Amino acid sequence: MTHLPGFMLCLTGFAALGLAMDRPQRDLLGRTLPVAAIRALRLAGTCALLLALGLLVAWQGWGLGLVMFSGHTSLAAGVVHCTFIAYARTRTPPPKRR
Amino acid sequence: MVGVVTETRLDRDDAPRLTGPGIRQSMSGLHTWAGLLLGWVLYAMFLTGTVSYFKDELSQWTRPELPHQVAVPDRAAVAQRVADELTRTVPGSPQWSMRLPDARNNSVYAFWRAAPQAAGRRGFGEGRFDPATGRQVAARDTLGGDFFYRFHFQFHYMSVFWGRLLAGAAAMFMLVAILSGVITHKKIFVDFFTFRWGKGQRSWLDAHNALSVFGLPFHLMITYTGLVTLMAMYVPWGEQAAIKTPAERQELSAQLSAFIQPGKPSGEAAPLASVADMVRQAQQRWGRDNVAQVTVTHAGDAAARVAVARGEAGRVSMSPQYMEFEGATGRLVDAHEGVGAAAETRGVLYALHLGRFGDIVTRWLYFLVSGAGTAMVGTGLVLWTVKRRRHLADPDRPHFGFYIVERLNIAAIAGLSVAMTVFLWANRLLPLGLAGRADWEIHAFFAAWGLTLLHAVLRPARKAWVEQLWAACALLALLPVVSAVTTQRPLWQSLYAGDWVFAGIELMLWALAALHAVLAIRTARHRPAMRSARRPVRDPARRAALGEAGA
Repeated sequence: MTHLPGFMLCLTGFAALGLAMDRPQRDLLGRTLPVAAIRALRLAGTCALLLALGLLVAWQGWGLGLVMFSGHTSLAAGVVHCTFIAYARTRTPPPKRR
Repeated sequence: MVGVVTETRLDRDDAPRLTGPGIRQSMSGLHTWAGLLLGWVLYAMFLTGTVSYFKDELSQWTRPELPHQVAVPDRAAVAQRVADELTRTVPGSPQWSMRLPDARNNSVYAFWRAAPQAAGRRGFGEGRFDPATGRQVAARDTLGGDFFYRFHFQFHYMSVFWGRLLAGAAAMFMLVAILSGVITHKKIFVDFFTFRWGKGQRSWLDAHNALSVFGLPFHLMITYTGLVTLMAMYVPWGEQAAIKTPAERQELSAQLSAFIQPGKPSGEAAPLASVADMVRQAQQRWGRDNVAQVTVTHAGDAAARVAVARGEAGRVSMSPQYMEFEGATGRLVDAHEGVGAAAETRGVLYALHLGRFGDIVTRWLYFLVSGAGTAMVGTGLVLWTVKRRRHLADPDRPHFGFYIVERLNIAAIAGLSVAMTVFLWANRLLPLGLAGRADWEIHAFFAAWGLTLLHAVLRPARKAWVEQLWAACALLALLPVVSAVTTQRPLWQSLYAGDWVFAGIELMLWALAALHAVLAIRTARHRPAMRSARRPVRDPARRAALGEAGA
């Protein structure tokens, strides 16, 4: 079952790439990260996604591998996004409506 | 600094425009209207298409008389049983074809052309057969999951031609909406993980963007390949110009489908050789579980032909691969394992749309990302009203266009959930002996959908949303209970027996009920921020930002 490691790599990849972005850093950490950390996160995120692609393609060939990779990346990005939202909301109370 | 920027923008805004609107503004208008005009049709196509990824499972659930399949039976033996039965029951048929059972299908679906002398005209018959006995099964009359599947690309109560044409037009609008949307929301990639909670229009836009961007490769692929599935109908002229003789037509057919066409019978009787042996030869070539379909022409005649087709598992292509046998002798005539480059391109794109090649995880990925696509269309439709409500002089008395869009949104989104669930209720509740039962299930679907539109028109908009979402929630939540009472397959028994088709669908119904409950509660609690809306937006920078948010 190569799906699970493939998905976990996509999840790690998007989490790293997301944390390398300005707004998630402010929402989640309350500050921005130093440039070196951002570069490291981007590199780690890209590598994790490429590794997931390599894993799925090695398992099922280019046709099926690419389709599966597309599905896993979409789902992983969604999960990371929802996690970021949930985490940010536990850190800060919801804004009051005017 | 802010002041300077504002001033500069103000100056630029006040400067006479020498050129037309920028590309993003043009695309914004295109995106809004291409998305809206057939948006309700697209939402219905997306949602019914999404559930169609589990069409076979739904078809099993809607026929509870067919027993739970613990293991897939030996396909060669099944093919022989059903072949014997068809030879006996439809003698003289020029062609019949059967789809063999697999992990997702617990019965054999067969269709046949009626014998010319019997019908006097071209007629077709179809039926489902028990793999264990080969006999036609007495399951309830229903289209099952095929109703949602067919509705997805040809609708109902209209000719197939016009239905498919409408679906094609909607898909073209969708393609335009996707491409113009990428240009309009230029920051979708920069704002990849951006969600601004509780900010009304901005939150809707962020949600719409996230649903669009995360699944963008899928949304583009599914829309484009959807058009490809029916391209021969939409643009027939190339084919008409190039394919003229019957031989050319036959060659084209062989490139597109494993249905071998019946030629002329010899008139000399000859019993059909062992179909089981032919299926076994195909299994040796493609694997035990990878034989999907058997087509026989002129069974019982010396000129009979048999085609045993490969399944779709493990290959991203719908191009036909089949072994062709002489029916009377069982001799292998030819093995068709490849098609031309153009046909293969079509085969790959077609397969990408249907997603039948994948394992269960890939199927779930298709389902979830397609669900995100449905939500993308839904949030887009709602965004149209959210953006404009802020600018209404009196939100309780909106102009006619707004009123129409708002009410259609309710019936198209919340109402469709109600209607689709009512279809499944009808499947459980309509008397089994009712004449035209399958049609009545569909009538129930449309009657419920029509009632939701009536309800949306008669009730205040927010109340209509909430009431329909709660109605969908209640219908979804109670359906497993109704099923437990009306069939011999209650949820607890399915769970105990490890029947994940029945248990999975019923647990999914509860998950969807929970989703509708959350939507209903959030809609009921929502208070639109009207106060700020009525205040004219004086700051041009903010006005520009709002314009972008509403694009």
